[in-house]
Amino acid sequence: METIENKILEKIKSTFRVDGVVQRERRIWITIESERLVKICQWLKSEGFVHLSAISVTDWPEEDCYEITYHLWSYNEKILLTVKTKIDRDNPLIDSVVPIWSNNAQIHERELHELFGVKFHGNPDLSQLFLEDWEGPPPFRKDFDWREYLQKEVFDPKNLREQGYYDKTK
Amino acid sequence: MAVKRMVKRSKKATVMRKLIKSIWVFNWFNSCGFAELVPVVGSRWDMERFGMIITGTPRHADVLFIAGYQTLKSVKRAQLIYQQMAEPRVVLALGACTMTGGVYWDSYNTIKRLEDYLPVTMYIPGCPPRPEAVFEACDKIFTHVKELQ
Amino acid sequence: MIKQNNTIENLFTSTPDIDGYDFYFGPTHPGSGNFGVKLKLHGERIESAKADPGYLHRGFEKLMEYRIPIQNSMLSDRLCVLEPLGWNLVHAEAVDELMGNDVPERAKYIRVIMAELSRIQSHIIWYGVFSIATGFDTGFKIAFGYRDYVLDLFEMITGGRVYPAGYICPGGVRRDLPEGTEEKILKVLDKINEMIDFEEKGNPVLEARTKGIGILKLEDAIRLGATGPVLRASGMRSDVRIEEPYEVYDRFDFDIPVRLEGDAYARYYLGIDEMIESIKIIKQALKQLPGGDYITPSLKKIKLAKKLPEGEVYVRNEVARGEAAIYMVSNGTEKPYRTKVRGPDFLHMIPVLEFLLKGAHIADIPAIYWSLNVCPADMDR
Repeated sequence: METIENKILEKIKSTFRVDGVVQRERRIWITIESERLVKICQWLKSEGFVHLSAISVTDWPEEDCYEITYHLWSYNEKILLTVKTKIDRDNPLIDSVVPIWSNNAQIHERELHELFGVKFHGNPDLSQLFLEDWEGPPPFRKDFDWREYLQKEVFDPKNLREQGYYDKTK
Repeated sequence: MAVKRMVKRSKKATVMRKLIKSIWVFNWFNSCGFAELVPVVGSRWDMERFGMIITGTPRHADVLFIAGYQTLKSVKRAQLIYQQMAEPRVVLALGACTMTGGVYWDSYNTIKRLEDYLPVTMYIPGCPPRPEAVFEACDKIFTHVKELQ
Repeated sequence: MIKQNNTIENLFTSTPDIDGYDFYFGPTHPGSGNFGVKLKLHGERIESAKADPGYLHRGFEKLMEYRIPIQNSMLSDRLCVLEPLGWNLVHAEAVDELMGNDVPERAKYIRVIMAELSRIQSHIIWYGVFSIATGFDTGFKIAFGYRDYVLDLFEMITGGRVYPAGYICPGGVRRDLPEGTEEKILKVLDKINEMIDFEEKGNPVLEARTKGIGILKLEDAIRLGATGPVLRASGMRSDVRIEEPYEVYDRFDFDIPVRLEGDAYARYYLGIDEMIESIKIIKQALKQLPGGDYITPSLKKIKLAKKLPEGEVYVRNEVARGEAAIYMVSNGTEKPYRTKVRGPDFLHMIPVLEFLLKGAHIADIPAIYWSLNVCPADMDR
């Protein structure tokens, strides 16, 4: 029996060459390369995926890449489609989707630039959002351990209560 | 005939007894304090019957309530507010996050010990503390002022 | 790593011109909460607005990577202090779907009752704060007086007035409803009905201050990413509870109120309509409440941490402010590898607010700002 999710996935696969899977009712996940992102997203928006729910970045240090995911929702078909791409970890650079979903995408990308260090080419404003005068590395990367940073800078080993933080590190 | 004063008090004690009769409060609440300090103003635990009101500016206030965790960005503003208050002034810190860091003890952006940044007079424990605890703290201020020598 | 920068001049980032001036509607203003907006004015009209967030940033998403799911469910009620049980439910659903848990029927009904009570409590706060910001002080006192009935109910069921200590946990709920809860809930709902009768009478000052102010058209609302009551007041009938029913919402008979004008008055009265629908849902749920377990038997003793299977999920819910979502990735260990939290206020407070404040008067700022039902903790995380 052809469900709506399978029909939409077949339509995407026949227009562009992508791998995709239907996870359950109302969830489709597809994987593409980062160069074709803007073209595919423009086609998806004209097909009814007008609402950008979130943009997120996952850090995989063993595979030496960042994985960016775009979660799109369609009000007509009531289906959530997720687009996943991978970019390089040491020099993260990708095209911005601000021309497609205007200020909604701009504020998500500004937050990810501050927390992960990803540069979005074409975003009009990538200034600091949450932090003020922060000069360290991007805080959400996997190699910036918060508990070690606090042991060095903030906690005091001579304080009786805070000595306990130094014994058990996880 | 002139009436002689029977009890000898220091100058600070006389001044404090005249000024701290009804406390005017400036609220600098972060989110967690909002949920339990606003009922203190509301109609169930009414604080106006004790003479406490909320002022709009720190220049009129006697007491600064710091309710909840502070981040590096907001503690600078709290210091600016404290500098604008007139003597005698008291700082009350509410919640577990001001004492030890609380639930966010391993966050890179919150303050773990508030006493490094502001001179705190009294801590009120709880997460968040009940409104009755706030009244007990104000009662302790009054008792302390009465017993000053 | 952090510079010391304590001067007041650094709070403004541009030099003012001769005819206009800068105005900082800042975090210590009693009408703004912990959030600042930098405005450029020309006389009494606003030319541009720039939001200044970040006073409450704790880094939630990485804090959740250091803890196991049962500890995370205690942390998840602090995501938005004005509605803790709603966010508890989103997190519990995400972990349930990753682990493949089978939640019993009684637990689902209890979860729906707690989430709807929390939505009523959040709308009462919205009503109270909106009234005092536009000059109607009686509304503030009445709202916070009636809210305490709901908080006493939470204390009886979960143990905490404001934070329920992770009551809705992965697998079900932590403990069963005590004796006599159902009668108490019905009495509290009668009291809330009294308050709604008072609210519906209206107030001429409130109407004059909010009718025709801050109009948001439908295509702008969709383009800027608004969800929840802000989108429904502009004419679109969309709600996650009917588009994608989660828990047992498909068994109830309720309506979704929609208004067409899109101004502050429409958003404000939509909150009152939604409270009436929530009361209907709770009454139907109490009638249909079945017996049985309140948590899956395999998770009853939560002493050992279980390994989460590999995979990723995206769960959407409807909290009082709009659409809330969690994206969770797991790589086979006991702790989640990455949790992304999407809150409705991140979009409402920065793009939508900057768009609505352009061209408005200074005196309309509280009406526009509080009609969007903001929660700064949800935005900063």
